[in-house]
Amino acid sequence: MKKNEQPNEQITILDGKEDPTTEQSNGDSLEAQLASKEEETRLLIERLQRLQAEFENYKKRVSREATQLEERASDREILDFIPLYDNLQRAFASYSNETDAAAFVRGIEKIFAQFDQVLKAKGVIPFDAVGTMFDPAKHEALLSVESGEEKNTVLEEFERGYERNGRVLRPCKVKVSNGKMNAEQKEEL
Amino acid sequence: MREKIIGIDLGTTNSCVAVLEGGVPEIIPNAEGERTTPSVVAFTEAGERLVGRLAKRQAITNPKHTVASIKRKMGTDHHVKISLDGKTTEYSPEQISAMILQKLKNDAEAYLGTKITKAVITVPAYFNDTQRQATKDAGTIAGLEVMRIINEPTAASLAYGLDKSDEHTILVYDLGGGTFDVSILEIGDGVFEVIATDGDTQLGGDDFDRRIMDWLVEEYRKDTGINLEKDPSAMQRLKDAAESAKMELSSRKETTINLPYITADASGPKHLEKKLTRAKFEQMIGDLLQRSIDIVDGTLREAKKDKDSIHQVVLVGGSTRIPRVQELISERIPGKINREINPDEVVAAGAAIQGGVLAGEVDEIVLLDVTPLSLSIETLGGIATPLIERNTTIPTEKTKTFTTAENNQQSVEIHVVQGERKMATDNKSLGKFQLTGLPPAPRGVPQIDVTFNIDANGILNVTAKDKATEKTASITITESSRLDEGEIDRMRREAEEHAEEDKKKAEEIEVRNQADQLVYSVEKTLADLGDKVPQDKRGDIEADLRSLRDKLSQNANIDEVRKAMDALSKSAQQLAEQAYSQASGDAKSDPSADDATGGEDADDGGYIDAEYEDK
Repeated sequence: MKKNEQPNEQITILDGKEDPTTEQSNGDSLEAQLASKEEETRLLIERLQRLQAEFENYKKRVSREATQLEERASDREILDFIPLYDNLQRAFASYSNETDAAAFVRGIEKIFAQFDQVLKAKGVIPFDAVGTMFDPAKHEALLSVESGEEKNTVLEEFERGYERNGRVLRPCKVKVSNGKMNAEQKEEL
Repeated sequence: MREKIIGIDLGTTNSCVAVLEGGVPEIIPNAEGERTTPSVVAFTEAGERLVGRLAKRQAITNPKHTVASIKRKMGTDHHVKISLDGKTTEYSPEQISAMILQKLKNDAEAYLGTKITKAVITVPAYFNDTQRQATKDAGTIAGLEVMRIINEPTAASLAYGLDKSDEHTILVYDLGGGTFDVSILEIGDGVFEVIATDGDTQLGGDDFDRRIMDWLVEEYRKDTGINLEKDPSAMQRLKDAAESAKMELSSRKETTINLPYITADASGPKHLEKKLTRAKFEQMIGDLLQRSIDIVDGTLREAKKDKDSIHQVVLVGGSTRIPRVQELISERIPGKINREINPDEVVAAGAAIQGGVLAGEVDEIVLLDVTPLSLSIETLGGIATPLIERNTTIPTEKTKTFTTAENNQQSVEIHVVQGERKMATDNKSLGKFQLTGLPPAPRGVPQIDVTFNIDANGILNVTAKDKATEKTASITITESSRLDEGEIDRMRREAEEHAEEDKKKAEEIEVRNQADQLVYSVEKTLADLGDKVPQDKRGDIEADLRSLRDKLSQNANIDEVRKAMDALSKSAQQLAEQAYSQASGDAKSDPSADDATGGEDADDGGYIDAEYEDK
């Protein structure tokens, strides 16, 4: 719409310059031009408002969809774990008398292996920390103690760490050596 | 596009950054994907500088070179001495804060994909000029031009849009992880003034966790004689469990803390299982909460305000999620409690709004209204079928295609209603009009486009157009947005209260509509097949047809209608199978079964039926 009107406008101006005798018609055309510009502005503002409203509504829809997607994704994840829960229930249901304790343990071992499989399929990998150097990207220090080990060596694991696709899901909670002769007092700010 | 000004809540324990996007504050997640960043800085022996989560994780191994809670030192001449490689460097609180700000800035730049050079930073209302200047200097060191320093309670009030409210006295109750602040503000001409402020720098959510932990340790000692405090691994698990129990008790009345294999003694592994009720938890932290309320009372006195002159209360800080906190406040102060925005993020959100105002972004936004209630037309069986859902930003336009409910229907009535109820009659009627002169056609064949168009002023234009004849009719409704807030609230509440029964009613009508459609399509199939249908079969089907028709005309119980429908669809299906095997033509589809799910009705001639949908 704009593109079509631009040349017209230029022609009108050129006309005016080239033909100074048409004063009256020039006045008319100025008024007409103003009216058409006002109309154009009105339409543009309306278009802007519509676009903006459409964008707002689009954003609302996207955020609704994102919530739904998240819901469905977590539904899918939960479904993968329900069979494990079912199997645990089966194990408890079958464990009625004391005599089959060994069979029960074997069953639990199977379920554990199944659990392992599910985690592996999801790319969840546990990582060990003991003996490695402390790395805050993977470890969270809960304790720092004197030991014969080199400073910053992980001595003990309180809670295992897990990673998935190169991202740390949960850092490993650890006890760290502060070096043999390194009994510093803590300084608090 | 003009440059964005970010809003930063530079907190004692955690910091948060937000930006205004399209007029709405958005929290910017950090590089680790979290929405808040621990205000911790560390210097490692490898010469690395860590900020945030990673710094916090290594704090215990590196206490001398880890700095937390630097905010408490802002504006003092305290210096942090860091000695590494035999070299000692001194850092001012401004410099340490700048490191946190720099991380927030970098993460914001990465998230937004643009360079950020300007920010609004919040400070506690009690910060003096020196502390404010120190905060500003920290920004400058971080490469940020600090466009304004604003008070945290002011930012929180801005996030709730209270600057536009006529009610001008606000109390902000900010109970964070480790600090408690209360402020009383007054607004005049959109400007906030802090009348009084007080707090406790050592009161917060961490204390509540500690109370739960202490209780667990004590209970466990009573039950087993084992002191868990000697076992750091057990204590860590207790700490995590205490925090999640606290959080769970904000939405549940009771939780179970279950920690299998918490420890072991000579007799083997030991487990911990303890029920904690909300009432018990409230009792545990009762004195702490009372302390905060005493401070509120003191602040009111200092501001020379009585509780009735507080119009609005704003809740800030994660611990305000605790229901007892909200109860205590509403028992004390009759004003409206604002708590819809995430209390961990509300200050940063308000700072981002201030940033947007300073950037001129807010002026540029053409303020657009939303439809407060859904706009619908009445369809078969009196159902309100929405074209424009509530909270849709206007101006907007929406078209849906409908059809007739009866054979040779010559006109349709468009009844426009407003509200959230499922039945049109329960909503507010805005107007009706007829589209006449439809050419004779079987039901379901005509296509009538109904378009709702609301302009920026809330004026609603409804047009109905028959696609075949291009005939149109329309109505303009000017009052659709003229409801006052009380009326809107009442209508929403009613819709919520009646949600269950309305849903049931609408489902019943849907079943009746389907039953009617089934009757219609089976009748049509019988007529189409003519004498291809064996006499005995025809008798069976006609009996089933009669039964369903009777049920419908007698307005029978919905289960009976369902049963009769099942019977008819079964016999009709056999009919279709037989007809097709006889014709032995293409037996690809089963028309009667398809139609049964179509959903139509004919008991009320004038109305149109929602059948097709266009986008």
